[in-house]
Amino acid sequence: MLDAYVTALGMVLDPYVLFVITASAIYGLVVGCIPGLSATMATALLVPLTFFMPPVPAIAAIVTTSTMAIFSGDIPGCLLRIPGTPASAAYVDDSYQMTLKGKPELALGIGLWFSVLGGLFGTAVMMVASPAIADFALGFGSVEFFWIVMLGLGGAVFIGSSTPLKACISLLIGLLIAMIGMNNPAGQPRFTFESTEMLGGVSLIPMMVGMFACSEVMRHMVSGGGAPPVVIQKIGPIFANMWRLTKQYPWQLIRGSALGTIIGIQPGSGADMAAWMSYAMSKRFSKEPEKFGTGHPEGLIEAGASNNSSLAGAWIPALVFGIPGDSITAIAIGVLMMKNMAPGPTIFVNNPENVYALFLVFVIANLMMLPLGWAIIKVATRVLTVPRRILMPIILLFAIVGSYAINNSLFDVGVMLAFGVLAFVLEENDFPVAPVILGVVLGPLLEEYFINSMIKSDGRLIGLVDRPIAAVLAAITIGIIGWTILASLRSRKTGEQPAQS
Amino acid sequence: MKFNNLFRGLLFLALSGLVAVASWNLPNPSQQPLGPSAFPLILSGLLALCAAILAVGGARATQGSPLVGRADWARSGGALARLLLVPAAVIFYMLFAETLGFLICATLILVILFLAGGTRPLQAIGLSLAAALVIHSIFYLGLGVQLPWGPLEPLRW
Repeated sequence: MLDAYVTALGMVLDPYVLFVITASAIYGLVVGCIPGLSATMATALLVPLTFFMPPVPAIAAIVTTSTMAIFSGDIPGCLLRIPGTPASAAYVDDSYQMTLKGKPELALGIGLWFSVLGGLFGTAVMMVASPAIADFALGFGSVEFFWIVMLGLGGAVFIGSSTPLKACISLLIGLLIAMIGMNNPAGQPRFTFESTEMLGGVSLIPMMVGMFACSEVMRHMVSGGGAPPVVIQKIGPIFANMWRLTKQYPWQLIRGSALGTIIGIQPGSGADMAAWMSYAMSKRFSKEPEKFGTGHPEGLIEAGASNNSSLAGAWIPALVFGIPGDSITAIAIGVLMMKNMAPGPTIFVNNPENVYALFLVFVIANLMMLPLGWAIIKVATRVLTVPRRILMPIILLFAIVGSYAINNSLFDVGVMLAFGVLAFVLEENDFPVAPVILGVVLGPLLEEYFINSMIKSDGRLIGLVDRPIAAVLAAITIGIIGWTILASLRSRKTGEQPAQS
Repeated sequence: MKFNNLFRGLLFLALSGLVAVASWNLPNPSQQPLGPSAFPLILSGLLALCAAILAVGGARATQGSPLVGRADWARSGGALARLLLVPAAVIFYMLFAETLGFLICATLILVILFLAGGTRPLQAIGLSLAAALVIHSIFYLGLGVQLPWGPLEPLRW
């Protein structure tokens, strides 16, 4: 294992990889800082570029960009009261209040310092836990994997969503999209409409670019709106009080990091839910809950650590089982598959140095966040004034070329547009988009595991639950789904309308 | 477009029906107990179930209200026109990228989108040229992607 780490370190310290990490870091910080451009969009736009890179820098680019963008989403939240990414929404009131009180450096410093600590915590858990879980999972057969995928999808739809029914429909749409093409156990072309371009299935990259970039551009077009005015302020020394705060709130830091990691591991709930839950928990256990929302550092510390630790947590199921924890890891899994590094327990046996390189990238990205984050905060007031009416058309052009570049195919540009429109219409109608991408990424696996399990058991459904681990996983999955359905029925009975929009 | 839940449900019900029809008779050459049609059929069944629940709930909650409503932004013609510019730009690229070449196509798209966003004409033209050149350099020089040149072919660098 140590040998593999040494090899991995050599791979990461390669000048080209370091260049990619630095460039992605700056890119992630800038995009995350601009309100209306989400971390997911930043990552999706980067995917066409990673297509042309070797595996390690490709993954490094994705990891670094997402880590940086989640942190820098705190900046517009603090200065403008507009969270740069949804993950910063939970504590935007507190940090903006600090700015109004003339202490923006305190809010930004907390965002930066505790993001780094949370991120390192999540990374440490990932480094220890994922090889161990992978070791355990080596004995899993298709039945166990079938239930793990089901658990992942069930968790995404029934825990991570406020509208389970609509999330379920989104997921089924994604799974059906995954059925297109010949990539199925029988090797039969399905739903291809006699088109040769569709035989290989829907190409993932144009699809992701369309869903997360093109749809954002469309949403900007209807909402319009220029950049809001920045209350230009001088930002003082950022790290001044951080050590004092760390000693004052150590418990909040650990609790936020731990809860964030756990929520990240839980498939379907990512950084935004981690921040909301940690903020709520901090308030619940605080000695002075009445100060929350008025510029109090406590919740900021806990939730700021939480959303960054969840990023690393989400990589545990992604690496070990190939199950994405949120849409960013879904994109990352797509990139891994593209690089012939299909995730799963065997990746730790066959490609350990690549996995360890990924771990090290996480560490480096989090450490690099200190100086680069400091720099972006110093120029933030200028980045915030870049008007979105200039950026959005450029993003659209980038999305077009990025989709085209993969196969030099105009058909892929059409795929990008189709999925952009699909995502836009779904979101307009309050259907969540993340389950679609989970469905597309996991659909082929789910079918393969299901069909293989059924073939092994001669088509009897009992074959899905007659091994102990499979039975336990099945029970948990069915429990989650059943509990959600019961809860929604009960809320209907008591006269309270379930979330309908 | 904003649909109510009854309409959304019926729409997805129709989709699940189409999927079921399309997957019913898929050939099963290897004679496995579960052929290539099995999984899509299960999915379409689940989709039909969810769609039905959505439709029933929608029918109960929204009696008498229109099936298809318009989102607030759609009431302003300008927003709708700006929205349609996005697919129009992509389709324009798909149709004309080969004949006009990337640089011309990209500049045209950007100029129009900038102007629609309220950028001043001179600034729009300058920015479009610069952005098209930068993106072209990233993909053509940086990644070696063969972007079409169109009439600018003699200038190829």
